[in-house]
Amino acid sequence: MNKSIDKLLFNPIRLKIISTLIKTSECDFKHLRKVTESTQGNLSIQLKKLKENNYINIEKSFKNNYPQTTCSITKKGKRKFEEFFETILTYKK
Amino acid sequence: MNTSEEQIELISKMINSTKENLKPLSVNFIFWGGLIVGMSLIHYIFPQWIQATQYSSLLFWTVIPVIGMILTVFYNIKNRKTIGYETHLARVIKIIWGVFNISWLLIVPISLLKGVNPVPDILFLLSTALLITGLIIKFRPILIGGLLLMLFTVYINYNSDINFLLVNIIGVSLGMLIPGITLYISKFDE
Repeated sequence: MNKSIDKLLFNPIRLKIISTLIKTSECDFKHLRKVTESTQGNLSIQLKKLKENNYINIEKSFKNNYPQTTCSITKKGKRKFEEFFETILTYKK
Repeated sequence: MNTSEEQIELISKMINSTKENLKPLSVNFIFWGGLIVGMSLIHYIFPQWIQATQYSSLLFWTVIPVIGMILTVFYNIKNRKTIGYETHLARVIKIIWGVFNISWLLIVPISLLKGVNPVPDILFLLSTALLITGLIIKFRPILIGGLLLMLFTVYINYNSDINFLLVNIIGVSLGMLIPGITLYISKFDE
């Protein structure tokens, strides 16, 4: 029987975010926007959802008087990504 | 994006889009290799200037490398900000060379207090850092450079009458400068 899929990661933008963060120790908003090809507003909403569910950490700082957002994946986020990947593999079979 | 195939493809695409960038590492190797070889050459050719006073040699071998370290730290921070992310591999390499730098800074005063030449210990430490880096990034010239430097360090421990400036020039050229240039060129070949 197939496992139930993680609805949070079923969203393509959120899956793109987590897939990028899984390979990095930290990643800034600008790069995430580039790889997800999403708008600033949409990306902010998806990041907020992942943060609320404790999948990612978000750190805000200032660089040359401009706000800078840096994201990293949490242990829970890594575990959930692994589970999601295993689940989609079972669906594939 | 409904099928599992599409999801797997998306994950794969995202992971591949976050590339390992080894160019900054090669720039660091070339910079440090060039700096140490250049300083050793200057010291070897003009010993009367470098050893003019009791502390001039110590100042020469402390002040310039510390300036080099500051420049390298700024270069790496700027580079990290430009790329927009740091991979786990880049983080591991940063930690290895950060620990190497701290160890190097500790070896110099300890050796001077003991009245021994710090070059063999620094070169041995450098060879281990090079070996680890070469193994992690799977880049043979750095691995070979580290191995050669390690063998070289063993040799100089049994031949203490050898000129340590020449040791520096040969050892650092083989261990850092040549592998660094090879890594830099290989990135452009990709």
